Amino acid sequence: MIDKLKLDKVLMKVEKPARYIGMEKNSYKKDLDKVDVKFAFSFPDVYEVGMSHLGMQIIYNLINNEENYACERVFAPWTDMEEQMRKEGIPLFTLESKEEVRNFDFLGFTLQYEMSYTNILNMLNLSNIPFKSKDRDDSFPIIIAGGPCAYNPEPLADFFDLFVIGEGEEVILELLELYKNMKKTCLNKEEYLRQAAKIEGIYVPRFYDVTYNDNGTIKEMFPIVEGIPKVINKRMIRNLDTMYTPEKILVPYIETVHDRIAMEIFRGCTRGCRFCQAGIIYRPIREKSVDRLMDIADKLVENTGYETISLTSLSSCDYSNLLLLTKQLMERYEDRKIGVSLPSLRLDSFSIDVLKEIEKVRKSGLTFAPEAGSQRLRDVINKGVTEDDLVNAVTYAFKEGWSRIKLYFMIGLPTETDEDVMGIKDLAYLVKDLFFNRPKEERKGNFMVTASASCFVPKPFTPFQWFGQNTIDEFMRKIYLVKDSIKDNKVSFNYHDADLSYMEAIFARGDRRLSKLLIKAWEKGCKYDGWSEYFKYDKWLEALEETNIDGYFYANRTRDFDEILPWDFINTGVSKEFLIREYKNAIEGKTTNDCRERCRGCGIDDCVMRGVFN
Amino acid sequence: MIIRAKFNKKNYLKYISHLDLMRLFQRTFNSCRIPIKYSEGFNPHPKFSIAVPLSLGIESEEEYMDIELLENIAIEDFIERMNKALPDDIQIINAVILDKSSSISTILKWAFYEIKFTHDQINDLSILEEKINKWLSNEKIFISKLKKKKREKVETEVNIRPLIGNVVLKGLDENNYTIINVLLGIGESGNLKPVQFMEALNRDLNLYVDMELLLIKRLALYAEENGNIYSPL
Repeated sequence: MIDKLKLDKVLMKVEKPARYIGMEKNSYKKDLDKVDVKFAFSFPDVYEVGMSHLGMQIIYNLINNEENYACERVFAPWTDMEEQMRKEGIPLFTLESKEEVRNFDFLGFTLQYEMSYTNILNMLNLSNIPFKSKDRDDSFPIIIAGGPCAYNPEPLADFFDLFVIGEGEEVILELLELYKNMKKTCLNKEEYLRQAAKIEGIYVPRFYDVTYNDNGTIKEMFPIVEGIPKVINKRMIRNLDTMYTPEKILVPYIETVHDRIAMEIFRGCTRGCRFCQAGIIYRPIREKSVDRLMDIADKLVENTGYETISLTSLSSCDYSNLLLLTKQLMERYEDRKIGVSLPSLRLDSFSIDVLKEIEKVRKSGLTFAPEAGSQRLRDVINKGVTEDDLVNAVTYAFKEGWSRIKLYFMIGLPTETDEDVMGIKDLAYLVKDLFFNRPKEERKGNFMVTASASCFVPKPFTPFQWFGQNTIDEFMRKIYLVKDSIKDNKVSFNYHDADLSYMEAIFARGDRRLSKLLIKAWEKGCKYDGWSEYFKYDKWLEALEETNIDGYFYANRTRDFDEILPWDFINTGVSKEFLIREYKNAIEGKTTNDCRERCRGCGIDDCVMRGVFN
Repeated sequence: MIIRAKFNKKNYLKYISHLDLMRLFQRTFNSCRIPIKYSEGFNPHPKFSIAVPLSLGIESEEEYMDIELLENIAIEDFIERMNKALPDDIQIINAVILDKSSSISTILKWAFYEIKFTHDQINDLSILEEKINKWLSNEKIFISKLKKKKREKVETEVNIRPLIGNVVLKGLDENNYTIINVLLGIGESGNLKPVQFMEALNRDLNLYVDMELLLIKRLALYAEENGNIYSPL
């Protein structure tokens, strides 16, 4: 345990000390000396962000539900805390027992976004743990990672002992059990990893080697030890109704990003947006039943005291029984002032009835994501919404008293022309006209439309995984095209940092040669890169140059279909042929229907939706 | 019906802010199904108030809040349900039903603190005690406070002597921290924070107090009426 007097001293000095104290409602406090396996779960960002992550809540409860295992949390200390910890010599510690992270059996990171990678290195450093797997002897924790970015684990291959590919709650207990059993007979890390590498969904990077062609592309990737798979299949929950679902979740004292009950209603998505990685890697779609959800909601309300239940998924309006579910929830909780919210509304499946149900308690702001400004480009990315959908949805919203609308777009999509880009402005102005063309006495509230543009980052396992990202100059030219054309104080336009998206693109499709870039950037002080105030592009450029890494090769280069991609050794269940077919359709502007309508043969072998909606 | 409840806030939970504490109670009322009254309006909020907010980093044995309820509930039941749902380090100690009363925040006038600190004269506490008593015999002790005048912040000199009540030097604790108990004015009629008291003491007595290592605990809160000091519950 760390020095508590020192901790008190630093907590008096830092901003929001409650980030570091733990003790929240529904947290566990086990005696670490009395459990078989100690697991430190880490979200490599600040407390308020990490605590809003549903996956953390699931893994935390799943492990602690086992009497002989303990899971404790650790987040990235904010910069003021880090400074104090280094000054006082306090190592990184878990919130529950205030125990040094280094003394745990496992340290598990969740990889939610690429720009958190430098924070991982910083946290290892604060824990006095060497970065590279090969430099850590048996006395160090086994360092593992999972989450969506683990679908291309290669840029982090040197740092982690193993990766969990797929849904962690399906496999994590197997890993801990193997550890527990081997611990009895004198544990040796190398041997543990050899055994673990045989578990489906587990990737141990040290057991694989990669060779390269002269042009820098991958020649071959192959296992270098016997008995481990050449291809790693993702792990997946079959039945969401019977899967482990926590009935209590941690309730933070301080306000977090999503300070409410997050109730997962289904996994997967049938829409097939071609830019979306989640839409592929979480296939097939699997829903929880209304009965099960009502049961979970009851327990979560009872055990947390939260006033809002957020129905989460990749596209919540697509839940088969959404109307029934929201009606039942409202009936049960309206008197208790407990509201229901939907985090994402889709224009097309925008259900007026659902919105009416929800707004009985309180009105939340409305956000829509047309993603692209023109119909042509929306067809390219297979975002199945039309201008009419937007008109209908927004007209209804204004009638019901909403006055602030946010629109999300991406810039730099394949085949994009300046005309498409200017469509962003046109849609924003259309929304404004829809508001002001209403009779004056019917206009309620203070109107504002915000169009927000992010710079497109092509991701692995999407139909756009071969596509070269726009250069920073090209992004900025397009952004200013829109920005300079908007001259209306009721229409606001904001955009994401193109530099940041460029770095994100490098890591999203990077390979194991990038580990030295990460270390170099960390040495130059890069951390919290996802926070624009801390992102130091000049340091990243220096790091790229000093490590002799060509950013263009990873971010901007369009790849051939027959090139071996760094993540090709992972099998998500969706075939490469499907992705190629979808890419070709995109370039031709051909749309692909929602797979609830008709199966498009993506390769997923046990999809419940297949045949159901034929 | 109004419930006045006394509660504590200890250990690491001294690091949660007043606003966080309000949200904690709100959630706890929810999960315990306490029939709390809500304000009218577009964004209804529960009607309860906590007296004289505690600064971040200060523990307390005695805090007070008034809660307005829609219907009567048994007080023992209220305490039991709340304490089951509240964290161990924030617990309701006692509660009573009030018919009507002036708000808890307006009647409180004094706060009693325990302050632990380190300084350069721990070897002879009797000298320190003498020095403190001599210091307290001053009719006026000034500190500078930032006060808002219109939109600017202006530094003004304030006499804090009337806001200092009993001061008792208690001795050393197991970590060799000096323990002092002080009664300080609180509320709208005059407020002296324990840190401000220590700053003045340190400044005038040259004690070289490590101001980064003050361990402060509020021991009690008192109301005052016509010169009578009493506990509000």
